[in-house]
Amino acid sequence: MSVNPSKIGVLGAGTMGAGIAQVAAQAGFDTLLYDVSQEFIDRGLGRIRTFLEGSRKRGKLSAEQEQQILARLKGTLKLEDFSGVGLVIEAVPEQIELKREIFKKLDAACGIETILATNTSSFSVTVIAAAARRRERVLGLHFFNPPPLMALVEVVQGEQTGAATMETATELVRRMGKTPVAAKDTPGFIVNRIARPFYNEALRILNDGGATVETIDKVMKGAGGFPMGPFELMDLIGIDINFAATQSLFEAFFHDPRFRPSPIQQRMFLAGNLGRKTGRGFYTYGDK
Amino acid sequence: MAINSVAVVGVSRLAGELVKLSQASGLTATLHADADAVSTSASLVIETHAGAESDKKELLKKLDARVSGSTVIVSSCLAFSPTAIASWSAAPERVVGFATFYPLADKKVIELSGGLRTGDDSLEQAEEFFRRLGKETARVKDAAGLIFPRILSLIINEAARALDEGVAEEEAIDAAMKLGVNYPSGPLRWADRVGLDEVLAVLEGAHRESGDDRYRPSPLLKKMVAAGWLGEASGKGFYEYKA
Ligand SMILES: NC(=O)c1ccc[n+]([C@@H]2O[C@H](COP(=O)([O-])OP(=O)(O)OC[C@H]3O[C@@H](n4cnc5c(N)ncnc54)[C@H](O)[C@@H]3O)[C@@H](O)[C@H]2O)c1
Repeated sequence: MSVNPSKIGVLGAGTMGAGIAQVAAQAGFDTLLYDVSQEFIDRGLGRIRTFLEGSRKRGKLSAEQEQQILARLKGTLKLEDFSGVGLVIEAVPEQIELKREIFKKLDAACGIETILATNTSSFSVTVIAAAARRRERVLGLHFFNPPPLMALVEVVQGEQTGAATMETATELVRRMGKTPVAAKDTPGFIVNRIARPFYNEALRILNDGGATVETIDKVMKGAGGFPMGPFELMDLIGIDINFAATQSLFEAFFHDPRFRPSPIQQRMFLAGNLGRKTGRGFYTYGDK
Repeated sequence: MAINSVAVVGVSRLAGELVKLSQASGLTATLHADADAVSTSASLVIETHAGAESDKKELLKKLDARVSGSTVIVSSCLAFSPTAIASWSAAPERVVGFATFYPLADKKVIELSGGLRTGDDSLEQAEEFFRRLGKETARVKDAAGLIFPRILSLIINEAARALDEGVAEEEAIDAAMKLGVNYPSGPLRWADRVGLDEVLAVLEGAHRESGDDRYRPSPLLKKMVAAGWLGEASGKGFYEYKA
């Protein structure tokens, strides 16, 4: 069965899935959004509606465009609906067994030409692809949060990803209005790996009494020209998310000291001081 | 003591910038390739050497002989801790460390650090000097590379490793860091700008001082410095530059 290259399927209607579906629909793709219950689908579609409404009110979108985008988005509870789509992007929770199980099911449900992509941040694309038979048609498409606002997509080539798959997916990412960047399937791909020292060395300096949180942030902005200091940024990302990313790289690099996590971050994580979302991280926020 | 004349010692682009900015700020400033011709009446000496330890030791010794024991010497601590640098002077209390990367023009904040034996009045004079140049200062703990140069060097080191391992190409790495985490420059282009030799000096300094393998420099970075591919200044680094 042939596939429709202007049709995209997204699995998981959470933060990333809903955002990716929005990007696809905005770029003109007919978009299917799958989740395990109607409630989760509705919540995801609701967030997209709110976002688009905001864009319309700020004059970035006409009412007609808004309606057209929404008309291109459909929720589904049936994986079989993905059979004819050109590209499926998986954005379910970051659990390896769950992802592998889903790739096995997708492999059976989709046309042989359908490209299957995972949005995983920390797992090997190769390991996820190994759950499917069509491994040359599986790759990573790593979007950044929030997808509608972040231009970058890392296009990740697993050990068995075919060159044609890389090419087609890269072209589709461009058509989605994003900037594709090719990366090999290695821990943290490009961004999550190379950005590690921005957080880890700042934490190391803090731990050794090298300077205060405020001074380090001031220096990185005032001398480095970074838009945010490392501690402000960690508070925004969430200490739990940042700590998990560091731990996963440390494990994936077989405990290379370059990726050693910080005891300060571990303590904050265990204490539940997770940054802005809990009102308390390296700084305190509001009256939470 | 009021600062009115500055002797800048060094051959780096940063040294040239320091002279120009000092002059533009109403100070008398002179540039010296080494310590031999430094005026004995300079009210502050600043030197930018980041390379070999033996050269730096020699430089401090010569400066001791040229300027009075009370003249503050502000020394680049990219590769050595301020305490180590001060120990090479007969008057360690007047030695202050500073660390930044080229270009100076876009730096709003300059990091300063005193060694274990540095006097507080020396630090205050160094702060006064940078204030005159229109810069804010931040006092941080005594270490090679201080904060910004050290963190940026580690980011560049990781980018060089990823490049060396074939994870992605130069442009891909730079684009990813600008678009994925809003860095003001891609790390490889940034390395070319500040000079790969300076980046390597920071990593080697931190590695030597701490003995911690998290700082070990990427083999690619070492080879490029050995080959003279230092970045913009030499016409080739991770990218090519036309003269
Ligand atoms: N949040 C980020 O900043 C970010 C950035 C880049 C990549 N990622 C990656 O994206 C993926 C999703 O992350 P998220 O933050 O959107 O998570 P999330 O928890 O917000 O959303 C996950 C969604 O998947 C649904 N789901 C659970 N089981 C499912 C199943 N069996 N089939 C289909 N849907 C199922 C959930 O109901 C939920 O709606 C993860 O792999 C994560 O690592 C996250």
